[in-house]
Amino acid sequence: MIERRRFLRAAGVTLALPGLECFSAGVAGAAAVEPVRRMILISNNLGVLPKLFFPQSTGRNYELSPYLTGLAEHRSDFTVFSGLSHPAVEGGHSTENCFLTGARGPTKSGFRNTISLDQFAAERLGQSTRFPTLNLGVNIDKANRSLSWTRDGVLLPAEDTAPALFRKMFIQGEPEAVARQLRRLEERGSILDTLLEDAGQFSHRLGRDDRQRLDQYLTSVREVEGRLQMMREWEQRPKPLARQAAPPDIQDKKLFFAKLELMLSMAQLAIESDSTRVVTLMVDAFATPVFKLRENQDTTDGYHNLSHHGQAAEKLQQLENAERQQMALLAKLLRSLANARENGQRLLDTTMVLYGSNMGDANTHDNSNLPILLAGGGFRHGKHIAFGHDNNTPLANMFVAMLQRLGVDCESFASSTGRLKELEFV
Amino acid sequence: MGPRLAFAASLLLASLAPAAVSVPAVCSACHNAKTAMGGLDLGTLPDRLDDRSVRERWIRVHDRVERAEMPPKGVTFPEPQRTAWLRQLSQAIHEADRAQAMEFGRGPLRRLNRDEYQQNLRDVLELPALDIRDILPEDREGHRFNKAAETLDMSRVQLTAYLDAAEAALRHAMVVETSPRSAVHYRAVGTALFPEKVTFGEREAMFFAKNNKAIETKQLDVYKDDPSIEMALFRSAHWPYYGYPRKFVAKWPGEYRVRFSARAVLHVENYRVQPASRPVPMTFRARKPSGPDVSGDVRATGGVMDVLPEARVFETTILLRELETFEYSPLGLPVPLARNVDGGAPTYRYPPFPSGGQPGIAIQWLEVDGPLPPSEWPPASHRVLFGDLGINPSPARPAAEARRLLRRFADRAAHEPVPASALVKYEQLVQTRLDRGAGFTEAMLAGYKAFLSSPHFLYLREPENSDDHFSIAARLSHFLTNTRSDEQLRELARSRTLRDPANLRRQAERLIAGPGFERFIANFTDYWLNLRYIRRDDPDIRLYPEYRFDNYLVESMERETRAFVTAMFRDNLPSRAIVSTDFIYANDRLASHYGLLPLNGSAMRKVMLPPQSPLGGLLTQAAILKVTANGATTSPVIRGAWIMERLIGDPPPPPPTGVPSVEPDIRGAKTIRQLLTMHTKNATCAGCHERFDPVGLALENFDILGGWRTRYRGLEQGEPVTGIDRAGHDFSYTLAEAVNASGKLLDGRTFADVLQLKTFLAANPRQLARNLLHQLTIYSTGVPVRFSDRAEMEAILDANARTGFRVRDLVQSLVASRIFLGKAGFDKP
Repeated sequence: MIERRRFLRAAGVTLALPGLECFSAGVAGAAAVEPVRRMILISNNLGVLPKLFFPQSTGRNYELSPYLTGLAEHRSDFTVFSGLSHPAVEGGHSTENCFLTGARGPTKSGFRNTISLDQFAAERLGQSTRFPTLNLGVNIDKANRSLSWTRDGVLLPAEDTAPALFRKMFIQGEPEAVARQLRRLEERGSILDTLLEDAGQFSHRLGRDDRQRLDQYLTSVREVEGRLQMMREWEQRPKPLARQAAPPDIQDKKLFFAKLELMLSMAQLAIESDSTRVVTLMVDAFATPVFKLRENQDTTDGYHNLSHHGQAAEKLQQLENAERQQMALLAKLLRSLANARENGQRLLDTTMVLYGSNMGDANTHDNSNLPILLAGGGFRHGKHIAFGHDNNTPLANMFVAMLQRLGVDCESFASSTGRLKELEFV
Repeated sequence: MGPRLAFAASLLLASLAPAAVSVPAVCSACHNAKTAMGGLDLGTLPDRLDDRSVRERWIRVHDRVERAEMPPKGVTFPEPQRTAWLRQLSQAIHEADRAQAMEFGRGPLRRLNRDEYQQNLRDVLELPALDIRDILPEDREGHRFNKAAETLDMSRVQLTAYLDAAEAALRHAMVVETSPRSAVHYRAVGTALFPEKVTFGEREAMFFAKNNKAIETKQLDVYKDDPSIEMALFRSAHWPYYGYPRKFVAKWPGEYRVRFSARAVLHVENYRVQPASRPVPMTFRARKPSGPDVSGDVRATGGVMDVLPEARVFETTILLRELETFEYSPLGLPVPLARNVDGGAPTYRYPPFPSGGQPGIAIQWLEVDGPLPPSEWPPASHRVLFGDLGINPSPARPAAEARRLLRRFADRAAHEPVPASALVKYEQLVQTRLDRGAGFTEAMLAGYKAFLSSPHFLYLREPENSDDHFSIAARLSHFLTNTRSDEQLRELARSRTLRDPANLRRQAERLIAGPGFERFIANFTDYWLNLRYIRRDDPDIRLYPEYRFDNYLVESMERETRAFVTAMFRDNLPSRAIVSTDFIYANDRLASHYGLLPLNGSAMRKVMLPPQSPLGGLLTQAAILKVTANGATTSPVIRGAWIMERLIGDPPPPPPTGVPSVEPDIRGAKTIRQLLTMHTKNATCAGCHERFDPVGLALENFDILGGWRTRYRGLEQGEPVTGIDRAGHDFSYTLAEAVNASGKLLDGRTFADVLQLKTFLAANPRQLARNLLHQLTIYSTGVPVRFSDRAEMEAILDANARTGFRVRDLVQSLVASRIFLGKAGFDKP
């Protein structure tokens, strides 16, 4: 049985690399000198007010927009883009699950999502951290929304409680608990072998459509099995020491900013402790009801209603306030990444932080001209790079650049037509 | 696939051999390569109808023409060409779709959703209180339900969760102790009935009484164990007031029996109590004990008891998790206003005393016993796993025992007989575990864990041939009871007689009448009517101070709708009941909410409506009106679209891009009708909005919680209304413009109010029935009504027309159809 499992694991890996987009896997050469690279991918599914986000002028000497003045101290550490979007990813809010996948036609019948940037990167990088990726959410409708999707287009649910994340990353089990967990994983290996054999046989009796559903099952069994060995190894390694106490659990959806701040700090902790190298965070503004705007003031409407401001001054004011606060939280994240050091280098220089949205303008359900900001990670920043307003450039071109910067040897991803060459490596 | 379809020069059909579908010139005049109106170029739409996505686009073309949405006003598609073309297109699509269904089945395998998985485990393992649902990720919604095959995906996360959930369930099922733990007995009298001697709410909220008079706080130490004193509560259990018996916590999780003596009282001047005039409903809510003034997570435990003016003993059982206690939760009583003046400790303010006194409950004593031991030892769940082998079994011939037990378990758990060639894999697994040094029980558990994560347990299959009785049994039971088929269904499947029409009918009747049908009602209404979101929006208390913290009202409206839908099925109501009936279900709270004659008690009962009442039917139930509103305002657009889609079955097209939504003006300056004029004045807007806005407008007489209103409320303009609400808050809102609930339907008929609209809607019971059948089809088969199902849908409707499309009859017709029986049905002539 052990022999066969080894074989299956190899088969699982082979299956996971269809070689469509990439020719070879793994971190690109000279691993000894290359610093470890990471990324944090954030999307707010209602976007921002375009007028206040996009700068008027372009190039290196562009004038900061009202929102970007909140990030002024990091000016040389980020690039703001205009004229990017995913081709054929239209249909208002339905696009929110495609932000990192670029899968076309989310409102078409029979639509199926495709692999997301984070999962793709994790597949290529191999598992060198405790968690291949971490998928976080704020106020998220976990059943129906996520930034993270498997190769089969299956939703990977987000984690939205900080204490649970903290436990996963930092709380060391007692020796007996570790031993028990190792026994469990060993037993799980036997169970998965059985399931694979039995389901394979089960599948022979099925028709085409049934078999497609069961293929998802078989893929899942192989993937869990493929991860067992790594889980076993990680189980035996001590967890990193947390530099802070366990975080509070904030459940109240009204406390939107407190939740966002908490999740951003969890993302940073995950990166700093090298628990993972890829973090996604969906800020589910759509599912955010009336929320606390400041001390003693709640918004008059839920976030979604606010986003359909119809130019009403009262709504625009609240929206601007909410968006400026989010910019300030983003600035705080960039600041702490810039202050953290790894091998003498600023952590920000090896950590890409993408902040964006699937919505170009939520008021009108527009999915073009997406607000996109990329900070850190080892690019030559400090510019406003503008592409055609009426003829957008695929956002996936930027994803390709990010993948390459991450050390993934690949030429294309999703709907990309190449690498975004305007984005230069340091 | 190139554009094989050319444009025809005349109105004659351009039928191009061998194309199955032709494009009439009247369509291609706009939908061509040059203009491609609405993004549709019919010239490039391939005619390969065996491709599902192509077929679906043609279906949209067909439907829009059939519903006369296309061609648009001003362009005519003359008869009889139009009918002929529709028939030709419909025939082509039907044949292509049917051929696909014949070849590949009507729908694919469907994974169990997490509610079904939990219920299956409860039934297989004989653990009715098993609680593992939250280990599994929430299921995605497809076609509005958590039952759609296409969205019930599998991933490594999902599979890992199944393995974890199975493991947790099996741990619960197995026992290692040689005898049951004896139940702990707890009894509280006197001051032990409450965690503290006083509350922050002081005696306005709770006091101890002797001889109907509050005992002075400093006297309480004297009287503390006196069995003749009562604990009297006058506020709802909502922050910051709660109370639970002192020093009781559940040491072990399980079922606890609670007995207590209580009476309904009125708190009158000088902290005295006297018997109340009406019952006060109460329930218990499970929670962890906490310090004063701290609210934690509370969990409903179900069951409402009406405490009567004369003291009486009540008994109920509640499920508690480890270290939980339970709080007294009188329903429908006010919650006081808590204020932190200058950041100091909270102080409370009470509304003026109600005339006649403040209702509440007085408790004399309370006992808890639990966890209640199983009726036999080892418990039934253990014997499911280990038969008669007892506790910690270690049989002499483990391999043979393993084989026997696995076979037994597989027969119980799987949805159809498991072939020996499959079962042998699980035997090998147990053997492997034994060989690696595991004990017998541990090795068996590994085998069971695997089986409960295998496709035999996780997936439901479409019935595929005429004697596929097991699949039919599983489909029927998951439809009507959200769980596996029971022994009777299995027996009929084994004897291959389930498909016998009389048997099928009898079984469906039995399941509908049985207790498991409550799960159908809960899940079906949670999704069809969105009842799972009933608590989503709290009422805006600036505008609706009377609804502040009224959990009892919200709970009652939820129960009303579930009771009504239950009656639709069990009492076989005609489909028009969706929009109109001459009765409703109500209790004390709803009777006052709806302005009916007062009722006593919390139980839902059928109440006949006075003539000309706007109530009756799902359409005007408070729960429906709440889930279609937000906490502050109602939008006829949202309500109208929701009702047209869910209740009438005429979904509006998706909203256009680039248009902001219209929001009600809560300053009170403009009515929603004034704001919506654009929808009727502008032809582009009107094209869709005249289909559903009117239905929403007719409901404008119902506020955000379904209360009747004749004028809108606002915050600035209008006639001011001020006062102190029942929780002690000052309120001040305005009565603004009068409500105008009149409107005009798409067909030109006008109505003055909701009552008249109801008569129009009720006049088309066939459409109401068709919609309900569509909902039931996706719910029961995991696949929405396919094009090739449509003819049979209409046949079902024909068969039920004479009797007014009764709801249970519709279920029976569906169950007997090819749609439900899958390919099995196709062999029928």
